[in-house]
Amino acid sequence: MAEPRIFQVSVSPHVVSPQNTRRVMFDVVIALLPALAGAIWLFGFAGALMPVVLSVVTAVVCEYACLRLQKRPVNAALDGSAVVTGLLLAYNVPPGVPWWLPVVGSGFAIVVGKQAFGGLGHNLVNPALLGRAFLMASFPVLMTSGWQAPFAWQGAPSGYVTSGMPAQDLQALPNADAISGATPLRVMKDSFGLAPELGDAVRRELSSPQTRFNLLVGRRGGCIGETSIVLLLLGALYLFARGVLEPRLPLGYLGSVALFGWLFGGPGLLRGDPLFSVLAGGVVLGGFFMVTDMVTTPVTPRGKLIFAVGAGLITTVIRRWGGYPEGCSYSILIMNLATPLIDRYTRPRILGEVKSRA
Amino acid sequence: MSRRRTFSGGAHPPEHKELAEHAAIRRLPAPRQVKVALCQHLGAPSTPLVQKGDKVRRGQEIGGQNGFISLPTHSPVNGTVAAVEESSMPHRRTGPAVVIETESEDGGQVFEPWADYSAHEPAEIVERLRAAGVCGMGGASFPTYVKLSPPPGKKIDTLILNGAECEPYLTADHRLMLERTDEVLLGMGILAHALGASRAFLGIEANKPDAVSLFRVAGAEVVELVVKYPQGAEKQLIRAATGREVPVGGLPLDVGVVVQNVGTASAAARAVRDGEPSIRRITTVSGRGVRAPGNWDVCVGTPFSDLVEAAGGYTEDACRLLAGGPMMGIAQFTDAVPVTKGTSGIVVLSSREARGLAENACIRCGKCVDACPMHLVPCAIATAGEHGNWREAERYGAMSCIACGTCSFVCPSSRFLVHYIKRAQEAIRALPRAKEA
Repeated sequence: MAEPRIFQVSVSPHVVSPQNTRRVMFDVVIALLPALAGAIWLFGFAGALMPVVLSVVTAVVCEYACLRLQKRPVNAALDGSAVVTGLLLAYNVPPGVPWWLPVVGSGFAIVVGKQAFGGLGHNLVNPALLGRAFLMASFPVLMTSGWQAPFAWQGAPSGYVTSGMPAQDLQALPNADAISGATPLRVMKDSFGLAPELGDAVRRELSSPQTRFNLLVGRRGGCIGETSIVLLLLGALYLFARGVLEPRLPLGYLGSVALFGWLFGGPGLLRGDPLFSVLAGGVVLGGFFMVTDMVTTPVTPRGKLIFAVGAGLITTVIRRWGGYPEGCSYSILIMNLATPLIDRYTRPRILGEVKSRA
Repeated sequence: MSRRRTFSGGAHPPEHKELAEHAAIRRLPAPRQVKVALCQHLGAPSTPLVQKGDKVRRGQEIGGQNGFISLPTHSPVNGTVAAVEESSMPHRRTGPAVVIETESEDGGQVFEPWADYSAHEPAEIVERLRAAGVCGMGGASFPTYVKLSPPPGKKIDTLILNGAECEPYLTADHRLMLERTDEVLLGMGILAHALGASRAFLGIEANKPDAVSLFRVAGAEVVELVVKYPQGAEKQLIRAATGREVPVGGLPLDVGVVVQNVGTASAAARAVRDGEPSIRRITTVSGRGVRAPGNWDVCVGTPFSDLVEAAGGYTEDACRLLAGGPMMGIAQFTDAVPVTKGTSGIVVLSSREARGLAENACIRCGKCVDACPMHLVPCAIATAGEHGNWREAERYGAMSCIACGTCSFVCPSSRFLVHYIKRAQEAIRALPRAKEA
């Protein structure tokens, strides 16, 4: 007879699904790559690729340094989450910014936004968006002006301008100069300050099929990773197929941006353009890659919907009446702060629970 | 074709039923020595009625019932008592057991066989099942006669025979349904008669189509269930099959339902038809940690080691020995523990199959919330429990957790959620209570 064996003991269950945090994070990285390719196509290697690389490297180095200082396992720096934060931070700065801007933003995102709160799983708000907010507050001029026109990096005039409107049509508008260097959302915002007929003409142009097509493809000015809607959708489809993305948050957010954009995103009630609301600005990037950040959003099904609709509402309010043309990132940060409260009040009904306490 | 039914939530762990589902039940001869636990059933252990040196006959009562929620225990063999001692148990750390040197295993009929159960009063049937020591064979081992004795005023209209067998690897119930269809049906009739239930049906997962059609051909009602874990959990099965929800803190009988495992029905049939007490069961030995997985009909008290030997012995990388399936089974440090009435299977996982012992931080992805079949917030309960925040854990529904393990299975951070929740449950039970109104 064999000698008595001693077996490993552990708590149940004794099997686990193959999906793990690292795979989730690298799926997100893969899903973000098409948009990076698009950004390079639109804004060039120096304008788009360099800030992204610097940001990602900074994020991983800062994560490593923080873990090292805290005497925690440093291989967590390569779990992919820092890479995602670095990518998202860079996607949220304009192309062609000085090299140190993404470095500063990415470092702030990791050190203050994530590690100061206890690292992966413990941060209160989305680190990349906190990094962006820090840059917006510290370097507002670099972050909001001097938008690069698509293909400008190739030298020759391409015929595309930052507002996404067809260049030849701009000649007909009296404020063509102001319009040609601004983003679509800035043009929309400024249109409310124009004489009514003029504003209507500008908005009609923003909703024209050519403008829409340019916005869809990404031929407009904007932050590095937010412009190519088609390529962002491609990444989102990949995540859906991999079972990483749960649909309530992104669809709830984009749906409510469209709904509220239609309700009061225009000059009067029910006069907004729902399609423009979704195509312009950063809501597709935000909706699929930042509203969906697991750590900083509710875990309950109802909570996810409340988060998504709340963020959609705040986005639209900032766009229409706030100080900035785009409200995507601030809306997510504000809802991040509300997440613990939302989770607390949206506990699902337990199976067999008749009536919760009064 | 009727619609397949299910509950909301749950997960799809790999089934691995193919390892043993085609292996016909083999009868394992009684080992040289059996170790019969006196704590096989839920509730108070039986009181030993024999001592060292006593001769015992097969079927003889060797442990006396000790209170309402308790059962008598019987000898599975003819032989001599070698010891009455405290010993390692598969379902608890240690417990009292009677060790018997086997001489033979003939005889065993200790009650009068009843050819026609319907000629007997329900109360007589209930008494027979008590005396025969029949308890739930699905794993929880709750005394069956207690389930058949609802308090006055509770009317039971539905009996569900649980043939879901949703635990991965386990195939004992499946083989039982295929090979002893008539016995299971007879047991269903006996249990329904004892309850006075107007409707009795089987709930079977759709991955056992052969069993479903056998029972349908035999004229029994079968509710086909979606293959999903934990489809065989009592509350989920009732919700799926009848649409009724067992109230929080309540029992199935509060909604007029009693659920019994198909193995329990078979044991009930033997107790009534053959006059034989509950001394044997069918159990699966499976997993990549054994060489020849299969299903065996064994004496209660057979050491796990004998069954593993019958299954060809351990493979090189056998790593974890489980009493039960991989989702709710209990890890054993030794194979010197005995089979009990509740041993639905012995699963030996290889190091490739068993999950690691490391866990990562919760990333609040909410997969556990979507998967929880009780609709709890496992990650919040676990985090509160980890910090000793018991009231918070209770607020998120800790006490309703059925410990099915679905949350820990789906967790991408491999967190031991069930462990934290069970610990919170213990702490919450110990909390001082405000006076009940």
